[in-house]
Amino acid sequence: MGKQEVKMICSYCGTGCGLIVEVEDNKIVKVRGDKESAVNKGQTCIKGSFAYNYVHAKERLTTPLIRKNGELQPATWKEALSFIAEKLTSFKKDFGPDSMSIFACARATNETNYVTQKFARAVLGMNNIDGCNRT
Amino acid sequence: MFGDGAPTNRFEDFDKAEVLLLIGSNTTDAHPVVANRIKKAVKNGVKLIVIDPRKIDMTKSAEKHLQLKVGSDIALLNAMMHVIIEEGLYDKDYIARVSEGFDELKEKVSMYTPEYASEITRVAADDIREVARMYASADHGMIAYTLGITEHHFGVNNVFDIANIALLTGNIGKEGTGIMPLRGQNNVQGAGDMGCLPNQLTGGLKVVNEADRKIFEDAWGAELPAEVGHTQTAMLEKMTAGKMKALYVIGENPILADVNMHHTTQAIRNVDLLIVQDLFLHETAKIADVVLPARSWAEVDGTYTNADRRVQRTRQGIEAHPNTKGDWQILCEIATLMGYEMNYNSSEEIWNEVRSLVPHMFGGMTYERFDNEGGLNYPCPSVDHPGTFILHERFHQGIELKEKSRFVPVDFSPPAEPTDDEYPLTLTTGRRYEQYNTNSQTAYYPEKIKLKQTEETVDMHADDAASLNIEDGEYVEVASRRGKVKVKAKICKKMQKGDVFMSFHWAEVPTNSLTIDEFDPISGTAEYKACAVKISKLA
Ligand code: SF4
Repeated sequence: MGKQEVKMICSYCGTGCGLIVEVEDNKIVKVRGDKESAVNKGQTCIKGSFAYNYVHAKERLTTPLIRKNGELQPATWKEALSFIAEKLTSFKKDFGPDSMSIFACARATNETNYVTQKFARAVLGMNNIDGCNRT
Repeated sequence: MFGDGAPTNRFEDFDKAEVLLLIGSNTTDAHPVVANRIKKAVKNGVKLIVIDPRKIDMTKSAEKHLQLKVGSDIALLNAMMHVIIEEGLYDKDYIARVSEGFDELKEKVSMYTPEYASEITRVAADDIREVARMYASADHGMIAYTLGITEHHFGVNNVFDIANIALLTGNIGKEGTGIMPLRGQNNVQGAGDMGCLPNQLTGGLKVVNEADRKIFEDAWGAELPAEVGHTQTAMLEKMTAGKMKALYVIGENPILADVNMHHTTQAIRNVDLLIVQDLFLHETAKIADVVLPARSWAEVDGTYTNADRRVQRTRQGIEAHPNTKGDWQILCEIATLMGYEMNYNSSEEIWNEVRSLVPHMFGGMTYERFDNEGGLNYPCPSVDHPGTFILHERFHQGIELKEKSRFVPVDFSPPAEPTDDEYPLTLTTGRRYEQYNTNSQTAYYPEKIKLKQTEETVDMHADDAASLNIEDGEYVEVASRRGKVKVKAKICKKMQKGDVFMSFHWAEVPTNSLTIDEFDPISGTAEYKACAVKISKLA
């Protein structure tokens, strides 16, 4: 892979600092403030510059899990997503759309949030969608 | 009232203000780069006034610090307006043209004399007068605020009162003025703008408005529900009552992040199907029925909207973690399995759908422009539009508005749980500099970084510690009517007597098992900020 620099936006606070992320062999090795960003003009704070190692943490989830006999057990994507689709379809039919709810993510991209509410409204047929997005 | 809580101006306006009121915002820790910008503006002549119960770092740059009692902001703001009206410092021509309801406001604040407010807030009456005059006399008065003001059971009223004082003084609609709510999480603004709210569709369109719904119904080929959905708080109540079958949680750990976690955990355990989509097996994921491994910030493309309405592009920098999927890809696959075909090839394709549905807001914001020009402030209706730096500019165009902004007078109400003999201290909560929310990500700092703080503390005034015979660094028990935790005591100069402070960053010290179950009746925001506690030495 070699070395590359990628322009990202910090994912922590609402300031929205522009970051230059240095990547080597698919690992983030350094993050610095983007001087071209009108928001931070090259500055960052400790979170923006250093709090990125979680991305590479060995504790990251690498398989879907389904609860079977009381325990969360590894499953394939196909199993997990089919299980969810079947359950949600039957709840919608038997108990109505209002029996379902979504907590959306105030740290995900606009694109993810757009699709999340489209899923809630067009697919599940409800408006029970909210986030920690009031603060 | 004008607007919908969107920031009226931009960070650039800090430099153009004469007076900046910073309310309930520990900016240095919560928004460090904004704090730097404000400090720089102060060096160039902006007068900073800090309104905060704690002697936070920003007070070092401040002309004046009003160290009010936790949760007494409305009494203070009403008293400031009392002074402004009594002394004729409000913008009469402006409010006649753009506002309505002035008489009700005048009536409401008439009882809030600085002397009366002083009893509630502990701020000297003359200080209230001085700050009211400073803000109202300035040509450019600006306000910035954070969680300190919204996380009360009366948080929405606080926000109304800030809008009241800005409107009263003509401080809406031009540069160097306005109201900046500093958002805690990076895309709070964007998540709301995209429609992740029970009452709002994308671009601030309204769920209850048939014409608004029709735009989406036509584009999506689906009939949309016309009734406003439940807020997060109301959803939790329905779960507790056993009336919610499924909960889908994306990228959040509500059990640790919510007030009164026992109650939250019970509520969430009550659903038949709990789906958690995230990076780690955190507290909420552990009790889930299905857990889906998602991708991190560095593995996705897309846009975020920051605290000054600036939409900015972020880019994928590393290959996706093995056997994970992106958040929107997962939702598309489930939708398709449920018989609703949903399929996008890129985040840009999704963004272009957003642009086409609400062109008056985002129509002119292309990925190409983000790449070439950087961030763009909405509304930005066409590709040759520079973006909107200041909202409500028509307020300052000398015209009489057809649709006027209404003042929303509000009353002070005390925190839901006053202190008493048994629980004599007020606990307030907030963020610390190096940590972020529930710490599942910031726990991974590289070893070479020396952190100021690696475990939770209860920060308290030296006199309170002395009277309890507690030493700095000693482990103590903090108890409320709902729970208790063991935590290290820290004697802290920022605190005033009678108040103690904790964050909610460490799972080992679940601060939110102490906090209270009261919610703002309008927004559903929980009262993280104040509850009554007692502190005792460990046996
Ligand atoms: S670098 Fe710091 S100040 Fe900037 S957005 Fe990230 S957390 Fe906020």
